[in-house]
Amino acid sequence: MRQRDWAVVLWIAFLSAASGFFVLFGLIDPLDMIGAWAHKFDIGVRLAYGLAFTFLYLLCLLAAALTMFMIRTGPARGHVEGKGRRPIPEVHDPSQSNPDLDGEDWR
Amino acid sequence: MSHAQDESSSLYRKEPKVYPRDVTGTFAGLRKLAVFVLLGLYYILPWLNWDGRQSVLFDLPARKFYILNLTFWPQDFIFLTLMLIIAGLTLFFVTAVAGRLWCGYACPQTVWTEVYLWMERWVEGDRNKRIKLDASPWSAGKILRKTSKQALWIGFALWTGFTFVGFFTPIRGLGQSVVSFQLGGWETFWLLFYSFATYGNAGILREQVCKYMCPYARFQSAMFDKDTLVIAYDEARGEPRGGRSKSDNRADKGLGDCIGCTLCVQVCPTGIDIREGLQIECIACAACIDVCDQVMDKMDYKRGLISYTTEHKLSGHKTQLLRPRILVYAILLLSLLAGLTWSVNQRVLLRADLLRDRNALYRELPDEMIENVYTLKLINMDSKPHRYKIEVLNNENMTLFVSPEPELQAEEVGNFIVRIQAPKNAGRGSMEVDVRFSTLDEPVIERTVSARFLMPFD
Repeated sequence: MRQRDWAVVLWIAFLSAASGFFVLFGLIDPLDMIGAWAHKFDIGVRLAYGLAFTFLYLLCLLAAALTMFMIRTGPARGHVEGKGRRPIPEVHDPSQSNPDLDGEDWR
Repeated sequence: MSHAQDESSSLYRKEPKVYPRDVTGTFAGLRKLAVFVLLGLYYILPWLNWDGRQSVLFDLPARKFYILNLTFWPQDFIFLTLMLIIAGLTLFFVTAVAGRLWCGYACPQTVWTEVYLWMERWVEGDRNKRIKLDASPWSAGKILRKTSKQALWIGFALWTGFTFVGFFTPIRGLGQSVVSFQLGGWETFWLLFYSFATYGNAGILREQVCKYMCPYARFQSAMFDKDTLVIAYDEARGEPRGGRSKSDNRADKGLGDCIGCTLCVQVCPTGIDIREGLQIECIACAACIDVCDQVMDKMDYKRGLISYTTEHKLSGHKTQLLRPRILVYAILLLSLLAGLTWSVNQRVLLRADLLRDRNALYRELPDEMIENVYTLKLINMDSKPHRYKIEVLNNENMTLFVSPEPELQAEEVGNFIVRIQAPKNAGRGSMEVDVRFSTLDEPVIERTVSARFLMPFD
């Protein structure tokens, strides 16, 4: 992947994580979350905001990078000369020029 | 380029529909077996009971996961994470040893696509009949066949969606809700969503999921080496290919063993020609091996023109099974499995959270005693009811009172008030106390937790 692709991945992931962050903490007060964990987890408000954003950003980075990877490395859909695309294999009646494979008898 | 030219020489190519021909043979039999075992487990497991409850149930509202005799609580999710890591490592290990075994035999996409293909063949016939049917104009017969196929596909998808929801909601009750049209909103949503996903992926998208959507297919090359099992065409033996009759002498005609029947292409579920070499689209289902072996039998040639082999074997070298990456995967896998088994067996089926009352630091009682009040959340994670003894460890001055009587039913969560009292002269400031919880009946389960006990500073 090119440097520009990585910049796009980083920026899109940041925008998504930021949107997710505002929606999440618009609905949830981290102070209310202290008793909500399976294990004792009282980390304070600042660290809660920081960790939540980091987690969201890493998740969005993974999604954006994977999407970029899938598009860049896969056969280009719909394009006759897409990367990795081979011509459609030729098929014909098995018995054509093979008289011993007559009809369905080839099994 | 003029507009007319642009239209006539379009660079757009629509994905051609693949009509895989039916195939029989050793590997087709193995795949059928895998379909029956895996889908059998999927469709039957939620109907089986274990200790009076559903054998596999991910009960989200109650936040408890039941897997056979084990119950996982939210605190045990580390075990489920470990299980996922083990499943992932197993996949890496199997891929490094045997290539795309997962893709060819066990991936849900392969397994459900196989079933959808069976239904399609059953209604519309094998490859040639399906090609003809699709190319023919609409008629009563075509409408009947297409409608029957869609009805079967949709029915199977709905059953699959119902079973999926049955892993999260007790399936017998769910069945009753469906029959009496009293299905809840979320259950309806997930049933339809999973049905739609099954129908779309296995009925419509099929091989395109493996070719364009599956990231695992792209990552696998990182796990492959020259000793990994792949499906390959023996080019040295097969070329030059060409038609002939059985009585023809290959050497006289200057031909290899490939008779160019194209059956290997016709049976391929992803529509590739394996003779072009190892391709990312190949899911290693081995349908081409089965059909080629049958053709070789028919021609009285040696089997194995297309076979499971390794790059090393094809180039005349010896295949090495024990390689550093295999050993690393195996050691990691065994260690994690051992760790998981040990830690699940060592689980303490009792959880206690002792939280100090935040409203008051301490209370001074009339007889020169200091009292701290705590809220106790006690969880009986065992499948039997228990009575508990609660005591302060290593501190004879302290007395502990609990109300109500600490007694919990199987898998019950209880809240209690705990009061710990100590003489005023027993200490100053903050002290750490260890509180032990133990069952009064068999089996003995005990857990010790620490809490802070506050005394006056003066």
